[in-house]
Amino acid sequence: MYEWLNERLDLDRFKEKYLKKVFPVHPTYFFGEVALFSFVILVLTGLYLLFSYTPSSQLVEMGGKKIPAAYKSILLINSQPLGLIMRYVHHWAAHLMLAALILHMARVFFSGAYKKPREINWILGVVLFTLAILAGFTGYSLPFDSLSVVATGIGYEIANSIPYIGNAIANFVFAGQFPAPGSIPRLYMYHIFLVPMLLFATIGLHMLIMVKQKHTQPLKNKAITGGTKILGIPMYPQQISLMIFVFLTTLAVLFFLASFLPVHNVEYFGPPTLTTPMVKPDWYLLWIYGIIKLIPGTWNIPLPGGAVINPEVIGGLIAPSIIMLIITIAPFLSKSKEPVHYWEPVSQRPIATAVGIAFIVMFIALSVTGYQAELNIPIWVCRLYVVVLPLIAFFLSLSLIKRKEA
Amino acid sequence: MVNYKGGDKMSEVKKDQQPNEEPCRSCVTRRNIVKLLLGTAGVGAMGSIALSFGTIKAPSNKKERRKIVKGDQLVFAMGSNANKLIHPSDIPPNKGTLAYPKGKEDHDNLILLIHAANPADFKKPTKLDWIADGFIAYSAICTHMGCVVEWYPEKQFSFDFPHLFCPCHQSVFDIFRGAKVLAGPAPRPLPQLPLMVADNVITAAGDFDGPIGPLPGGK
Repeated sequence: MYEWLNERLDLDRFKEKYLKKVFPVHPTYFFGEVALFSFVILVLTGLYLLFSYTPSSQLVEMGGKKIPAAYKSILLINSQPLGLIMRYVHHWAAHLMLAALILHMARVFFSGAYKKPREINWILGVVLFTLAILAGFTGYSLPFDSLSVVATGIGYEIANSIPYIGNAIANFVFAGQFPAPGSIPRLYMYHIFLVPMLLFATIGLHMLIMVKQKHTQPLKNKAITGGTKILGIPMYPQQISLMIFVFLTTLAVLFFLASFLPVHNVEYFGPPTLTTPMVKPDWYLLWIYGIIKLIPGTWNIPLPGGAVINPEVIGGLIAPSIIMLIITIAPFLSKSKEPVHYWEPVSQRPIATAVGIAFIVMFIALSVTGYQAELNIPIWVCRLYVVVLPLIAFFLSLSLIKRKEA
Repeated sequence: MVNYKGGDKMSEVKKDQQPNEEPCRSCVTRRNIVKLLLGTAGVGAMGSIALSFGTIKAPSNKKERRKIVKGDQLVFAMGSNANKLIHPSDIPPNKGTLAYPKGKEDHDNLILLIHAANPADFKKPTKLDWIADGFIAYSAICTHMGCVVEWYPEKQFSFDFPHLFCPCHQSVFDIFRGAKVLAGPAPRPLPQLPLMVADNVITAAGDFDGPIGPLPGGK
């Protein structure tokens, strides 16, 4: 069989070129792989769900009650022998993918690997992260239970509040005022086609560039090889075995989580009703939710023509965009123009490290602000600590690094 | 075999051309024209495909708000009494309920909250003459993100009860002071609805005193 294929496809050349590709070894290199495998599992479980899901919010009869067709189809999926676990694995895989992406980004940032020559892959990574969040958001609406209707409705209102063009954009994206009859088919299209296709393309490009540019290596490799070669294990058989192990572990962890920690139980929230359930966005959007709460309701910037930039736009769009933009351009803010091929020790880049830690503290502080009312923290305290805590983190880590260096 | 030979010939031809002769000027011009034409055609084709998306129309843009008019009787919005007329005796003092104007239930943005209290408890900027027998009504659509606010019977977050509370971003509105925003990100108070009691039924005496829910940024 191999010979037959080899004659036609010249597999030997492929083997020579790629199966011997060297992978440096470090536990943190698996974050990206976990994200990739979560995506694979998302596609597979998503495919399973597509066989039974109905993308429609039209009311249909079930047990004498009128409920949305999408919600009914979720109930039917739940009643299938493997339906419920597949839904939960799908949901958990989305969480795991985002968590792994964040850890992967943190590794790349703190090791200095995002700098020249890998700026393109850093930007692609930020695009990937944004797409993953979009996939999560569009997927949220599909069960059409009372929670997802409220959560997606808030997304509509944020888009709707953009000055001048917001109403047109929101109505275009959601096919009318959410929940309009066309909204669910539209969001379904985004969730199962548009966003995954863009994710596929971005992941492919990200990996091609990684193969072309090769990994940055742990610093100790430099001492061993003298800085001319890459020290690691070959793709085949060692790296492949490790990857299979990581894939199976990811799958096992997801099934474990899905079995013991059910997420988004649609029957608990029930079909959409008049009242609004207590909604919190998923943890990866909680920081934006925190910003929305921090912006005073009086911050209305008037624009010509009677339009305003209102607090929702500032908190829900402008502020998160600025933060994401800063992250995106991080490689270009670095002063050194030397190409990076080895992890840069923390002591070499104290300011970048301290800024990174300050950003993490800021994200955590903003997310805690999402629970401000429940924790009974006055809002002015939140406004204070969101600024002060990252600053403390910055100066504390800076002085710690300096002291360690001295 | 034949192809192979042909290939060899091709490389010979290429080799012949190698000596660094400048390509003729007209050839360069011709190439540039072809590039320009292909580029224009490509950009034009992609651009027109992109622009064609602009002609997509939303299937419906309903949700044009229907007006509440004087004489619209109010009905319970949910619970076992759903769609039944609300008589003054149905809501004891210091209780509240979600309600709809009868016959306009399909317009879910007309949902409103009724609260019963001692008329003397209400203070400005409540429109005091819009209160009927201690009943007051506000739109139940939060002015922040359009969630349905709750009539909250208990003390929470250091606010006196009862108050109106939005579960989405924890805005708190003061029932007794014209649904003034006490906390949270809501930009405006909830619009108030004028009430009257006619034929022993709580009835609207007009429309809300302001726009319902969040405003598009363009307005």
